[in-house]
Amino acid sequence: MMQTDGWYRGLLEAAPDAMVVVNQCGEIVLLNVQAEKQFGYRRDELIGQSIKDIIPEGFAERLIADGTRTAAEALAQQIGTGIELTGRRKDGSEFPIEILLSPLEDPEGILVMAAIRDITKRKQTEEALRQSEERRCLLENGRLHGSGKVTRDVTARKKAEEDLRDSEEMVRMAVEAAEMGTWFWNVQRDEISWSDKFGALFGLTSNAKLTYKLIIQVIHQDDRQRLDQSVQNTLNLGVPYDIEYRVVWPDSSVHWIAAKGRAYRSAQGVAEHMQGIVMDITERKTSEERLVKMMGELKRSNDDLQQFAYVASHDLQEPLRMVASYTQLLARRYKGRRDSDADELIAYAVDGSNRMQVLIRDLLAYSRAGTNGKALREVASESALKEALANLRATIEDSGADVTYDPLPTVTTDSVQLAQVFQNLVGNAIKYRRAELPHVHVSAAKNGGDEWIFSVRDNGLGIDSQYFERIFVLFQRLHGREEFEGTGIGLAICRKILQRLGGRIWVESQPEKGSTFYFALPEGAGK
Amino acid sequence: MMELIGTDAVPIEILLVEDSPGDVRLTQEAFRDAKVHIDLHVASDGAEAMAFLGREGKHANAPRPDLILLDLNLPKKDGREVLKEIKESPTLKSIPVVVLTTSAFEADILRSYELHANCYITKPVDLDGFLTVVKSIDSFWLSVVKLPRDARL
Repeated sequence: MMQTDGWYRGLLEAAPDAMVVVNQCGEIVLLNVQAEKQFGYRRDELIGQSIKDIIPEGFAERLIADGTRTAAEALAQQIGTGIELTGRRKDGSEFPIEILLSPLEDPEGILVMAAIRDITKRKQTEEALRQSEERRCLLENGRLHGSGKVTRDVTARKKAEEDLRDSEEMVRMAVEAAEMGTWFWNVQRDEISWSDKFGALFGLTSNAKLTYKLIIQVIHQDDRQRLDQSVQNTLNLGVPYDIEYRVVWPDSSVHWIAAKGRAYRSAQGVAEHMQGIVMDITERKTSEERLVKMMGELKRSNDDLQQFAYVASHDLQEPLRMVASYTQLLARRYKGRRDSDADELIAYAVDGSNRMQVLIRDLLAYSRAGTNGKALREVASESALKEALANLRATIEDSGADVTYDPLPTVTTDSVQLAQVFQNLVGNAIKYRRAELPHVHVSAAKNGGDEWIFSVRDNGLGIDSQYFERIFVLFQRLHGREEFEGTGIGLAICRKILQRLGGRIWVESQPEKGSTFYFALPEGAGK
Repeated sequence: MMELIGTDAVPIEILLVEDSPGDVRLTQEAFRDAKVHIDLHVASDGAEAMAFLGREGKHANAPRPDLILLDLNLPKKDGREVLKEIKESPTLKSIPVVVLTTSAFEADILRSYELHANCYITKPVDLDGFLTVVKSIDSFWLSVVKLPRDARL
């Protein structure tokens, strides 16, 4: 038919796609070998046949001249655009195709050349992608609100499906157990789909379609801008979406939500959809707020204690110093000059004010033990003990006590306070002695964990087990002042120091057999 | 020619800045047995101390003290302010100032030395301690130490 047949043919056969040339009547005038293969016809079976035989719909109608337009006009509207249609093979089976059209000038008129591509594979991929995305959103209860249909390709990749279903099941269980809601936002269409749990967490009362603008209305006013910024960062910059915000239910109750998600982009980098999870963190937020409040109260009460320490040290001490000084001055100046009755009365006043001074001093020491410590650092506990023994030298010499110790470890602690603990314990061990010469032994052993257990063992009076707790309480004493001096501050201070250093203190003892005081210190830094 | 200070003819002038009459009396008691002749002047608050030092009003004839004993916690003008003003004054700064206070707070001690206190003493809580301290001031500042003489001219 055409003189140009030769070079047309060469061109057509070289093309990777099926090529079909159609005249204005919709008859096939030319085709290549790919077209034969794709549609399952021999060439001679198609030549002269209607294009409708292989592309039943959408082709002829678009391109062929009809009463309202010329073929050229019709064609001009379609040039260059990929049109997705359905192809039909000789055996009647159908497959998706995409066609690209271009006009051919021919002496007989205008011909249309169609490049036809089989897009079965591409369609399958697209469908699989879409399904897995939708399935992710279906994780809870298999239900989806506000969104379109769910299609399942039951024939494709059974095995892969089952695997996917198993892993989805695991994720679904995890999501359910964590009481998470799930959401899926088609950004291009601005449609948000969500799970039942999501609806419950947001206080949604209907299953009506949601858009971004609508969901923003549910967010607490003060959090909206922050949320929007976060969403924009995720959409535009790909920053993972991770935010905590408040939602306000229709009943005006406020609920804290933690949300995580990410955006999925097209090859061109345009965010197509975003999806993620939400969970209720109201309880956590409430306890965080409560904790912050309690910390504030604790700080205030600590400040009060510091203030009290100052009051005790100065304002209270001041008038007491007057009482003590002047009763002492009285005693000094008039002792023996008046009757013995006066001497005795003055003596009680002096004694009372002296004891009061000691109590105030001890109370001050106690209140400072928990707050006035130095920073913790690595300390050779042996040097802390040596310092304590040096302070006790007079006591040790006077009593003839024998104080021994094993090699002691290095611990991370406050050396001044550790020395004070040693001093109080060794001092007590010597003070509460029996007739025989006091023997005190200090040692340390590592327990199973990462603690050092120090012990101060004596051969003194011992303590009845019913008092094991009481002796550590402030101003609690087991002996009268005539027997042993003291206010009952030492062990209380020890306990307070050890609390600060992250340790603890206790005693094992038998009356008349001696006592062993133990204290535990963490090997590393105390908390 | 210089006179020998601390004799009957030229007593040592001490300004005690102290708001507690009890402490004033105790200090007087303690100085009673001093080896030298002491004139103890008392200012009961910071403002009065500065008036004394500036010879203002009723203090027009006040002597320039050889030594100042200064309490920190005072009504009206605080002892710390008094110390600062003394040590910033070209005419007064050469007078030794002994801070004598109940406060044993490190912050107070540090601050006082930063303001150029000549020494800092915490008042002992018992009588014997207090007497000992005042006697030490007597023997150290008034006997051992050479005070600036030209300032008395």
